[in-house]
Amino acid sequence: MKHKFEHPAPSARELNGPRYWRSLDELAATPGFQEHLEREFPQGAADLNGIDRRNFFRLMAASFALGGLGMAGCRRPEVNILPYGKSVEGVTPGLAQYYATAMPARGGAIPLLAECHQGRPTKLEGNPSYLPYGGASNLQTQAAVLGLYDPDRAMISTQAGNEVTGPQVNDLLAKIRDTYTPIGGAGLAFLAEPSTSPTRAALVANLKAKFPKAIWAEYEPVDGSAPERALETLLGKRARPLYRFAQAKRVLSLGCDFLQSESGAIGYARDWAKGRRQVGKGEAMSRLYVAESHFSITGSNADHRIRVAGSQLPGFAAAIARRVFAATGRFPELTGALDRLAADLKIDAGWLDACVADLCGHRGAALVCAGFQQGLAVQALALAINEALESFGRTVDLLPSESPAADSIHTLAVAIQTGQIRSLVIIGGNPVYDAPAEIDWPVLQKQVSEVIRHGLYSDETSAQVAEQGGWQVHGTHFLESWGDARTADGSIVPVQPMILPLFNGVSETEFLARIAGDSVTEGYSLVHRTFTELNGGSEKDFRGWLHDGVAVFTGATVIKPRIAAAALAEVLRGTSFPVLSTGNLEAVFVPDLKVDDGRYANNGWLQECPDPITKIAWDNPVQISPRLAADLKLIDPRRLDKDQPATGALDPARHDINQFTIGKEQAHVVRITLDGRSVEAPVHIQPGLADYTIVLPLGYGRTAAGRVGNSVGFNAYSIRTSAGAAFATGATIEVIPGRTQQLPNMQEHWAIEGRDIIREANLAEHHENPTWAAGIGMEAHSPAIYGTDKDKPAAFKAAKTPRGNSLYETPDLDGTHQWGMSIDLNTCIGCNACVIACQAENNIPIVGRDQVLRGREMHWIRLDRYYSSGFESNAAIPEDPQVSLQPMACQQCELAPCESVCPVNATVHDEEGLNVMAYNRCIGTRYCANNCPYKVRRFNFFDYQQRQLDSLYLGPLGPQGKPELLKMAMNPDVTVRMRGVMEKCTYCVQRIQRAKIEQKVKAGASGAIEVPDRTIRVACEQACPTEAIVFGNILKEDSAVSIAKSDPRTYAVLGYLNIRPRTTYIAKVRNPNTNMPGQKDMPPPLSRLEYNQKNHAAAGHGEGHGPMHGETHGAEHAAPAHKNGGQH
Amino acid sequence: MSKVFPPWSNRLPLQLALFLVVLGGLATAGVTYYFTPKYTRVGYAPVQPVPFSHALHTGQLGLDCRYCHTAVDKSPHSTVPAAQTCMNCHSIIKKDSPLLAPVRASFESGDPVPWVKIHQAPDFVYFNHAVHVNRGVSCVECHNNITQTAEGETMAQRQPLSMSFCLDCHRDPASRIRDPKDVFNLNSSRLVDQGKEKADAAVKLVQHWKVKPPQSCSGCHR
Repeated sequence: MKHKFEHPAPSARELNGPRYWRSLDELAATPGFQEHLEREFPQGAADLNGIDRRNFFRLMAASFALGGLGMAGCRRPEVNILPYGKSVEGVTPGLAQYYATAMPARGGAIPLLAECHQGRPTKLEGNPSYLPYGGASNLQTQAAVLGLYDPDRAMISTQAGNEVTGPQVNDLLAKIRDTYTPIGGAGLAFLAEPSTSPTRAALVANLKAKFPKAIWAEYEPVDGSAPERALETLLGKRARPLYRFAQAKRVLSLGCDFLQSESGAIGYARDWAKGRRQVGKGEAMSRLYVAESHFSITGSNADHRIRVAGSQLPGFAAAIARRVFAATGRFPELTGALDRLAADLKIDAGWLDACVADLCGHRGAALVCAGFQQGLAVQALALAINEALESFGRTVDLLPSESPAADSIHTLAVAIQTGQIRSLVIIGGNPVYDAPAEIDWPVLQKQVSEVIRHGLYSDETSAQVAEQGGWQVHGTHFLESWGDARTADGSIVPVQPMILPLFNGVSETEFLARIAGDSVTEGYSLVHRTFTELNGGSEKDFRGWLHDGVAVFTGATVIKPRIAAAALAEVLRGTSFPVLSTGNLEAVFVPDLKVDDGRYANNGWLQECPDPITKIAWDNPVQISPRLAADLKLIDPRRLDKDQPATGALDPARHDINQFTIGKEQAHVVRITLDGRSVEAPVHIQPGLADYTIVLPLGYGRTAAGRVGNSVGFNAYSIRTSAGAAFATGATIEVIPGRTQQLPNMQEHWAIEGRDIIREANLAEHHENPTWAAGIGMEAHSPAIYGTDKDKPAAFKAAKTPRGNSLYETPDLDGTHQWGMSIDLNTCIGCNACVIACQAENNIPIVGRDQVLRGREMHWIRLDRYYSSGFESNAAIPEDPQVSLQPMACQQCELAPCESVCPVNATVHDEEGLNVMAYNRCIGTRYCANNCPYKVRRFNFFDYQQRQLDSLYLGPLGPQGKPELLKMAMNPDVTVRMRGVMEKCTYCVQRIQRAKIEQKVKAGASGAIEVPDRTIRVACEQACPTEAIVFGNILKEDSAVSIAKSDPRTYAVLGYLNIRPRTTYIAKVRNPNTNMPGQKDMPPPLSRLEYNQKNHAAAGHGEGHGPMHGETHGAEHAAPAHKNGGQH
Repeated sequence: MSKVFPPWSNRLPLQLALFLVVLGGLATAGVTYYFTPKYTRVGYAPVQPVPFSHALHTGQLGLDCRYCHTAVDKSPHSTVPAAQTCMNCHSIIKKDSPLLAPVRASFESGDPVPWVKIHQAPDFVYFNHAVHVNRGVSCVECHNNITQTAEGETMAQRQPLSMSFCLDCHRDPASRIRDPKDVFNLNSSRLVDQGKEKADAAVKLVQHWKVKPPQSCSGCHR
């Protein structure tokens, strides 16, 4: 039978589809392409992409309604194949291309590889050619691709809010040039974001030569130059410290969050993890001491953490320095000054002595780092301690840097106040939102008659520019413009565009080149010129640089410092600190771990990512300590007493501390007053803070960020002055009676309750009995799981060991590969990069604040953060908890409980051990989620991908459809799930299949179909800065994952259920100093203490079992016939 | 006691049951025949912007499949050629033919020729051409021998391409496999059809090459 269908020709709009999808390579390779581009994005093309969304949706809704009435739905939909008119070199539809680029970020660029599908970047990975980062990235990098396709980006240039064309903008820039050239730039001022780009530096130099009287000011709310300034003061030479954590065996962090917030943190985390992996007997595991005011990621990974308010850190550093200098004989003349500074410090001297003895015992392998937010005194003391400990050249290198040739925002403010400025050009940044409060920038800006703004977003600053009749020139995202940048260690990396500017924006370099009247104004040529000038390289070198994404690192000159005592004494002379109390609090301003200083506020992936420590998404509550909460009568003061009698209920204190009701944190609203300015915010009680420190995360409370970032949280900039940019004392807090606010907290219950899902031991115990992890937990008490195969390798167990006599038919695991994963909890730092990498790779939707409050977040990886106190009482709140971190995604159980309850076989096993989800088969009964012991399945309660998050409850009446722009961010290899479908991690099955197919294609007429080890990097593994996650084929005994799994600390979470998870964890080893106060008897980690209290004491085991408990029991239970298995 | 139900009502349940069985059977038969891809899709031959004849190009002229479908052995997609590929010849041959106007226009403007897609797998199916043609599955298996189509006939769907169609082969690859050198030879036949010796060779081939077509969901659905 044959049918002939006649279809109308496709409409023009349908044919427009692949027009975006052109890569830069075409641009370089095809002559005449430039001309073609002009037609590629006609002036109105952007309108389709979401500007006129409202009308678009209205039409769409109407057409769907009509379609439903007729029989249109019964006809076969017609789809077109739209090939290129002319073939594009290098592009094969269906195959991804990878290009090197870099993400310019605060504190140094991050080298990247961008995955492009027909010219459309969809995923960013770290560039493995850049060795310090080894292909790792962080959560902001992973989320950057969403920023490119943000429908709230500035899409047009405007004057006083009215659209202007590109030529008009060029005329404006030419006019500025012509007006100010004759008068040397008098009356002209620039306010820019600092940049590491050599091209921009060259352009600024040009600009200054052309306009010698103009002001070039730079401002960034979070200033990372404190260490450099300290070195300049001490040495007279500006330099930047580079830490070598891989060489450091003892690390003391003075408020330095080197695992996340410092510049170069990816490399630091990577290096630090190297020292943490060395837990064997002959190896020297590193030890980390942290003194900090707020709970940072670094603090949560410390072996010894001490709470010291930011303002008291100079005293703490002085106390450490005093002891170090006494032990090493350095700077004897400073003893008096240091004693004076340390006099008022209320810190256990035992702690300081033990810490210093440990540091001094590792001279040349010790490292003291001071956070970029610390003041001059702490920076200077840290440098001096490093010198005394002989760290320079071993664990700390000093890299010469140049003083910024820019004025401060204050200089500019004075110039504006005195009426000197007639034209102000604001490049990037967002001063209306984040300028220091004492400047009152919004008022200042109004005093300038002509303001021109260049920026990616139409933000708070743009809004005011429009209000005063100024110009807004829309910029370009780094993925659509040419540029270059320096990484934290000074390497120059290219920023290559992956796509043409989506909205015909003007890049920053082109903008500056036009104002300066440069002969070259095109981004590519500017970058080429800079490269040639800096390196004198050939065209081949340039091509190589673009291809590799990093030039061969020549090795910067390293300074060996000799610190003069006099200079140090001078620094210390002016330092003092006040005593803090409830009436004199210290406000700490920290850049948010997700949205940074506010620049990423409109990125939904980042907003929805829970804060690594508080686990709160979509908000930035003020954090206060339990002590302060007790003083404010928010909690019962008796709760702070660890001998508080236990209550019967499960864990009232741990649950109620933040007033959880029906899954939502009910936060009190407080008013914080600092220097006469006040701000209102919800308050979150955070164990582990310095008593009288309140933490105010920056970056929220935006009013013109866009649909995602608007009115999320409170704006801490409104009370932040430049004198107290990092921390300010004299703050007061008052609870506003009767006002509460719900906070979307993704982990309300933070105690482990003594369960064995976290297993920890101290290094000494590990050396005594390396198999300790196997002895903890229910496996030692449950019936034997692997029976006589217990000691067989993982490969054998996976493929051969029978899986019991279940009624449910279990699949034959006879595939060529058997996939497995190992997660090293020793090196997992809880940074959340994996969470966002997974979201970017797997098309995971954003659900919005309201849905998160209902517990409907969709992340496939959950990063569990547990606190343990070691208290027997469950009514007491710990002030010094230990943190345990655990990434939790689908464990790919071999005997998956979810599979046996699925009525439609939508979740089944494949022959390679994956627990797969056939989304098209799922009918949404949610039985599987109910039966999952790990709670890692996620359900699409709404059509999050197709509906707007504020109108989910309108159902079919709400607008439908995803903005065209956001569709472009989707990974074409992964199904976009709809409402009513369950989803979960499948070990990035698309990457597995791609690798398998590539291998089979390569194999052709042969049997070599086994994918070589490390070919497949799953998204979380690839992003992980510490290489904590290893994925691979467990059938091969020499594969990385098999080697990782052969570690004796390997354990399966809830292993006693006999579900045989393919993801296993390597238990954490802590490395405490036994000379520390309270460590004399070598107490186990606090989580272990809780475990012992809960399991052993109650069950009458007594201490007789001691550390050998596991081993003896393990042996006992090895025999499957052991009858009393569960009766202990 | 009066009769509430007449006597014929005694047979009613049986009749009803019979009726339902027949109705159910008819409905099942109807759906099985009319609603399946075998009926709804096979023979789909929409009017194309250019009446391209595979019979002419591959049959009479003997062009290799990969001259136009360049990425078929590399990419998931077989890739429909760019207008540029057509113009390699048609800038000389039939260069003024009105039928080729859309191709010339596309070559000039860069706008695509809107070919109508025929072999359409659902969005949740991730079919990959490269792995099939590199491992002894010929184009013929899904697209039939297009050298044999009648003159003037455009491309049409010849196989249902349903899940069971895929699984038939995935469960028994030896019955479909070809010598690798015959994959693009559309007139070749399967090894099983070339006598007992070759049929045995096919089974061996599957073993030696470790041809293990996935039968679990993850093979095609992600």
